[in-house]
Amino acid sequence: MKKHYALPLFLAAILVVAFAAIAGSGRTTIDLPAPPSIGTVIDDFKLPDADGAEHSLKSLAGKNGAVVIFIATKCPVSNAYNDRMEKLAQDYKAKGINVIGINSNSTEPSSEVKSHAAEKHLSFAILKDEGNKIADRLGATRTPEVYVLDASMKLVYHGRIDNSQKVETITSNDLRDALDEMLAGKPVTKTSGAAFGCTIKRVS
Amino acid sequence: MRMHFRLPILFIGLAAIPYFSFAALAQTPSVSAADDWVPSIYAQLSRRLFPVFRPRSCFCDEDCFAALQEKQKLQSRQRFQSMPPWPPLYPNAEKDIREINLDGLKQIIQRDPKDTRPLLINFWATWCDPCREEFPDLVKVDTDYRSKGLNFIAVSLDDISDIKTAVPKFLKEMKAEMSVVLLNVNDPEPAIKAVDASWDGQLPATFLYDKEGKVVFRHFGRIEPAALRAAIEKAVGNKQ
Repeated sequence: MKKHYALPLFLAAILVVAFAAIAGSGRTTIDLPAPPSIGTVIDDFKLPDADGAEHSLKSLAGKNGAVVIFIATKCPVSNAYNDRMEKLAQDYKAKGINVIGINSNSTEPSSEVKSHAAEKHLSFAILKDEGNKIADRLGATRTPEVYVLDASMKLVYHGRIDNSQKVETITSNDLRDALDEMLAGKPVTKTSGAAFGCTIKRVS
Repeated sequence: MRMHFRLPILFIGLAAIPYFSFAALAQTPSVSAADDWVPSIYAQLSRRLFPVFRPRSCFCDEDCFAALQEKQKLQSRQRFQSMPPWPPLYPNAEKDIREINLDGLKQIIQRDPKDTRPLLINFWATWCDPCREEFPDLVKVDTDYRSKGLNFIAVSLDDISDIKTAVPKFLKEMKAEMSVVLLNVNDPEPAIKAVDASWDGQLPATFLYDKEGKVVFRHFGRIEPAALRAAIEKAVGNKQ
């Protein structure tokens, strides 16, 4: 009696294990290109805005540098920073640093990027990175994620805006500190910062 | 062939006995003195078989006996109320989610050296769409591998104000049974870097540690269940 189903069971077990092994092989973490290290000069690139007009990084950068921020329309973390990003853009425009937003999420089309910017009163340029090519080149993984470039397009800071999603509990203004140091002609003390954010949704 | 039909019925029947007996006990405050030391079906049985426990000192006096019985009832009610509640089917639906700080997170990662189970940690939040999307897969992983020795801790990065609302509500919807803690830190950077130097905080993030505490699988973004399962199979199967 026992033998009648012992064999099929054994075979089924082998099949399951084999399937798991095949499905699992070679498909571990998606390897993203590492972000450029601090001090690297970022090559110029062109991306369209939400209306389809192409802009190059150099044409949008200010005379003292640029802040490239990967943003999203749906990510609550990115949205928590809308006001802060807009304020930052206003504050540093006069100092010759322009904020450039990039939306690389495959799930958020240009039309949505445009309506979101209008609704949230984001006045800085926002580019649409179809196929996440620029996110790949810069090794961007989450929103919001910031890259600070100096006047010669050299990367001086990469990471978070500040330490807290809630304005009341900010204790470390990493991005502003980096910008102020850069403007003062000093080397940036803290060149990176980690914070929780939404994963950029890449094309598969 | 008949065995095919009989075995499951027999199995369910056998499994139901301790469940119903314990459930009956938990719901009925007992007057019997026996359940002081035998918290089982036997306490129930002895109460049914010998309903009146008449202390010797009360044989003479019915009023005295009634008073004593009242006293016993009160005592047993108090005892019943002080008993821990019967564990709910989905613990996180009612259980308080533990709040941890940076040290708590470090303790989880460093682990108790006596605990040699492989450890799966998933960092998530209710506001994170891919986290919500992958959660049913993680619940299945937990159900499938807990009995094989997998320790699963889900670390929520929701705001502390959601610890009694949005977080347990979501876990209840998901029928999640793994341990869940909520990391409450003002500066996330030390926490992120304590977990993994190559991690910048993108969510979800999933890490599997083997029995020696070495990271054997890491994934940022929505998991691929097959890849995670293959890694867990290897980690739980690696007996030494």
